[in-house]
Amino acid sequence: MASIIEVKDLVKKYGDFTAVNGVSFSVGKGETFGILGPNGAGKTTTLEIIEGLKRPSAGTVILDGKNVDKETDAVKEVIGVQLQAVTFFENLNLAELIDTFAALYGRKVDPMQLLTEVELTDKAKSQAKELSGGQRQRLSIAIGLVNEPKVLFLDEPTTGLDPQARRHLWDLIRAIKARGTTVVITTHYMDEAEVLCDRVAIMDHGKIIELSTPKKLIEELLSTGFSKPVLQQQANLEDVFLNLTGHALRE
Amino acid sequence: MYTTYKLTVASLKMFLRSRQALFFTLFMPLMIMLIFGYIGFDKPTSIDVGLVTHNPDAATAQFISQIKQLPTFAIHEGTLDEEKSQLDQGNRSVILDIPDTTIPMAKGEAAQPITAYTNAGKAAESEAVLSILNQAINQMTLAQAHVSPIVAVEQQEVNSHNLRYIEFLLPGLIALSIMQMSVFSVAFVFTQYKEKGTLKRLLATPMKPIQFVAANTITRLIVSVAQAAIFIIMGIILFHAHVIGSYFLLFFIVVLGTAMFLGLGYTISGLAKTTDSVPAISNLIVFPMLFLGGTFFSISQMPWWLQMIAKFLPLTFFSTALRDVWTKGSGIEDTGWNILAMVIWAAILIYLATVTFRFQEKDSA
Repeated sequence: MASIIEVKDLVKKYGDFTAVNGVSFSVGKGETFGILGPNGAGKTTTLEIIEGLKRPSAGTVILDGKNVDKETDAVKEVIGVQLQAVTFFENLNLAELIDTFAALYGRKVDPMQLLTEVELTDKAKSQAKELSGGQRQRLSIAIGLVNEPKVLFLDEPTTGLDPQARRHLWDLIRAIKARGTTVVITTHYMDEAEVLCDRVAIMDHGKIIELSTPKKLIEELLSTGFSKPVLQQQANLEDVFLNLTGHALRE
Repeated sequence: MYTTYKLTVASLKMFLRSRQALFFTLFMPLMIMLIFGYIGFDKPTSIDVGLVTHNPDAATAQFISQIKQLPTFAIHEGTLDEEKSQLDQGNRSVILDIPDTTIPMAKGEAAQPITAYTNAGKAAESEAVLSILNQAINQMTLAQAHVSPIVAVEQQEVNSHNLRYIEFLLPGLIALSIMQMSVFSVAFVFTQYKEKGTLKRLLATPMKPIQFVAANTITRLIVSVAQAAIFIIMGIILFHAHVIGSYFLLFFIVVLGTAMFLGLGYTISGLAKTTDSVPAISNLIVFPMLFLGGTFFSISQMPWWLQMIAKFLPLTFFSTALRDVWTKGSGIEDTGWNILAMVIWAAILIYLATVTFRFQEKDSA
């Protein structure tokens, strides 16, 4: 598989603190790539260097054949991002927000079409601050898609969402992947990574400590003789919750 | 160009839909204009005079009715005790106790003197009342004696252009509200964008920071020109405060003043680390100018040491230049020094803005 992102020996230092410590990996075209790790592992910093928002202390990132540190603007043209905890402009409705962001790429889009994709058509005239958590993430993704990006970056998109909203967002991410868009996602929910990602990198203390497909990683662990105390349960509490409250979105 | 244009349209929409922004840029200054304009500081104030009468005889009654017609007196009638308690409370400048036989009816009858209780705290008003009263008595005495005064003053009215207070106030109020709009809207909005991650999100697009700054600057220039236009129109309609000088020069000064204070706004948003510190920093700079910038009263009324400071404030140059053009019809040759001073201030503040203002916190590679 041809790779679209090549990260090599990436280092990011803040004074004495090393947030990212020699990270290398590549992401294939059309792949959904997960970066997993506990809080403070360096996931977001790695992502922001690849997105051109932060400059690396050392190492290179090549995205779609362009060096991110040198051709930052050219890279920004072909990527879409969803950042953690962003507040969009106040006093603009969703359609106007999408229209404005498209203009940042010199583009004109049909806001309603994008809002349809993320199922927010009935909120077209609302403001971002009136949305629920899940709706806000969907808006964030819709805005990330205004330039029809080759790579979409999602930074902890489901943190803080209820189970229904999380599953709904998974469906949306799978639909984006189905169009051939490469997706890079960070999360600290393992079930999410298992469901969505083709390959995952597990980070801790600024380093990648494992990188493979979820299936292989589990097999490797089992082959070492690892076993959990087996509970013959065909369901967990989340299944109970969803069974009781239904899969329908609440917002 | 397309990007900047669309950003300007979006930013104009945001400004016009923000109730807070509209309150401070339009509503509040308009209220000040209406209140100060209709209070009318120009009208001579009447002096409160307490009048105590008893059972005046015919001649005295006539004298009393003449006093009541004196235009500068606001007459309050009551008993001596009532009026004295009003005087104690500071509501009267003078009480006149008029005896029943103030004006002698028959020759040889002794005239009883009027007793005047004066308010020591309102010496000037009391003085005026007494001298007006004395004048009235003198005139009456002359009339009774059938003698005409040896000297007469003939009054001739000349229509000179006296600056009314509203005409003094309006140009200053325009300068003031443009200062408020430029400083606060930029300082607040940009620190908020920074704090809430909006700027970071914008930086993840190919947009250049200068495009965003340009859009926000153009928006505020448009708003300030509209603001000035609204005030001028209101001034003309409500107060007949016609602009004597050139409209072109007036709006040139408006744009220059906006640029100057936008520089200050960007500087403050560069200095403020959080939204909470914006009002503190802004008010520290803007608040003294509200009173020292020559908006509400002329700086020539201040003590000399305060004048030395007030004279060099950016708002003072701005309001003086506008006032010169509006009320005196000054051209660039008359008020050019003020305009030059504004250019210098604008250069300083815009330079400070470029030094302090950052789109994001410095990220050392």
